[in-house]
Amino acid sequence: MSKPTERRKENRSDTPNPSESPIRWLHDIVRRTRVAIQRALGRRDGQFTFLAVTVGYLVTYLWAIRHLTFSGTGGFDVFVVENPAALALRQRSAFLFETVARIEVGSVVYLLGPVNILIGLCLAALVGVTLAVSIVSWRAPAACRIGAGAGASASIPGLISGFACCGPQLIVVIGLQASAGLIAAMQWMVPLAVVLLLGTLFWVGSRVDPQPM
Amino acid sequence: MIHSRRRFLSALATTGLGGLAGCLGGSSDNGTENPSNVSETLPEDFQIDLGVPCTETGGSIDLSGGTRPKEIEGARGSPETTYEAGEIPLRETQLYLGHDLKTLVENHLSGGVAHDGIPSIDQPKFVAGGDVTMPPCERVFGVAIDGDVRAYPQRILVGHEVVNDVVGGEPVAITYCPLTGTAQGFYRGGVTFGVSGQLVNSNLIMWDREFDVRWPQLAATAIEVGGERPTSRGERFVGRSLAEFRVIWTTWDRWSRKHPDTLVLSEDTGFARNYNRDPYGSYTPVSGHYALETNRRPKLPLVTAPEGQEKRVVIGARTSEGAIAFDKWSLLKESVLNGSIGSTPIVAVADKELATGYVYSNPTDAEVRGTDEGYAVDGVSGPPEKLPLDEILGFEAMWFAWHGYYPDTNRVGL
Repeated sequence: MSKPTERRKENRSDTPNPSESPIRWLHDIVRRTRVAIQRALGRRDGQFTFLAVTVGYLVTYLWAIRHLTFSGTGGFDVFVVENPAALALRQRSAFLFETVARIEVGSVVYLLGPVNILIGLCLAALVGVTLAVSIVSWRAPAACRIGAGAGASASIPGLISGFACCGPQLIVVIGLQASAGLIAAMQWMVPLAVVLLLGTLFWVGSRVDPQPM
Repeated sequence: MIHSRRRFLSALATTGLGGLAGCLGGSSDNGTENPSNVSETLPEDFQIDLGVPCTETGGSIDLSGGTRPKEIEGARGSPETTYEAGEIPLRETQLYLGHDLKTLVENHLSGGVAHDGIPSIDQPKFVAGGDVTMPPCERVFGVAIDGDVRAYPQRILVGHEVVNDVVGGEPVAITYCPLTGTAQGFYRGGVTFGVSGQLVNSNLIMWDREFDVRWPQLAATAIEVGGERPTSRGERFVGRSLAEFRVIWTTWDRWSRKHPDTLVLSEDTGFARNYNRDPYGSYTPVSGHYALETNRRPKLPLVTAPEGQEKRVVIGARTSEGAIAFDKWSLLKESVLNGSIGSTPIVAVADKELATGYVYSNPTDAEVRGTDEGYAVDGVSGPPEKLPLDEILGFEAMWFAWHGYYPDTNRVGL
């Protein structure tokens, strides 16, 4: 078995040069990333991380945009607007769309916004898969065939960008206690988070040995 | 519409009855200081109207259901005045502005929401006041036009900011800006107003959906034409001021006692919202943006107000010539305050029944004093809202907001 450093050297020599053939280089990174995801989600700890982080992130996201609150007083109540299909696509602010139903269960009040759920799920899945790959590569670098340090450090931008997309949403919704510059910057937070998460994922993927173990 | 509801009226009734006690709670319990330097405090039941805590929140409030006002006996909810499409009732003269229009335009900025991202209520429904259970200290905005009396709960307007309604047969817009603490009424004629998503001086900039003219709420004067409609059609409105009417900032207890037949805006607004949660904080008890603590300083003012004084409530009034602000705390304490706009004497009188104030032009400098019936002007008595003087529309505002729009405002009690 070769040492990790030797393997990384071998990987680099196999990787197409981005300046010479950028399409091949991108294709190779996507392929390696896909392999990393498959390997991470093929393990129980990877699956657990993915599910836990995705669900946790989604709940946090809904709380951050104040669609999920603990302001009910008990009991059960459902309210649906007259024309949910039309209202669901009505934009309230950057990456925040109109809600079409209010559901109260006990002290929990949930405002259902289909597009917001979709955005939240996409972000949550991205954070989940990035952290799953990172955790697996940190716990068992051989399984992903990348260095443990690379996997662990990959989790940092994943966490930061995941948080970044939630935090500013609070201010977007509330619309106060924010400087003009921050308000202007907030509309870019969700796309920035997506770019950072994808970048992290591909960065991890570029360090994966695509050869079968 | 699908709407099944199981609410908790018994619990609400309990909290509602207990609410008054909460309203009367002193400020020291919650660590909030009186927003004034007056040494003598007001009777306790005035304090809630000055941003002092009402400790009883009342929890969830049932304002569901309701019907359109034209279906309610006594409510004149169908237009009785004919307006052409696009006609906007305007003042004959422009209201005074503390800045030129260019400055206001250059200082507007995004509030973080899209055009109409805060949706106005265009099909309001109402319930009878007698069927409503709300904590007495719940904040409402009251409107009475030709005997048609309505209350608009703050907890609903905070999520919409504009209600396009017909009251007393007159098409009107009831507007509320949470960041500046201003509730104002405008005659809307043949248009509807919406929330542009822009702010100036932290204040709501409305747009009319016919011309996309931008109307800052507090200034009530068009500053520019937006890009949602052909620009040339709306240019004639720039610099013109809207015709206004008074919206009373008060509590449910006071409004319902004075107007037991009032209608109350229903939560059935056509939108799925959580009206039991105010995104800006809470008036009952005071918290978040409404809190007076200096670490809750308002952002985005046009002109910075003295620290610690920003959220003092003033009753402001402006004419074509200038602006004046009366400290509300001082007015409720003194009952009558005198000031001037230019060389014209101005008098403000307190309405202790609704805990608000009215502003009058007093060109002859007539003596105004309190009586058992209300006030006497050179010996002629009348209630505070109907003195034999020319009323100038006044309304509550946070001091930073008024000062931002009118830095050279005359001030009384401040």
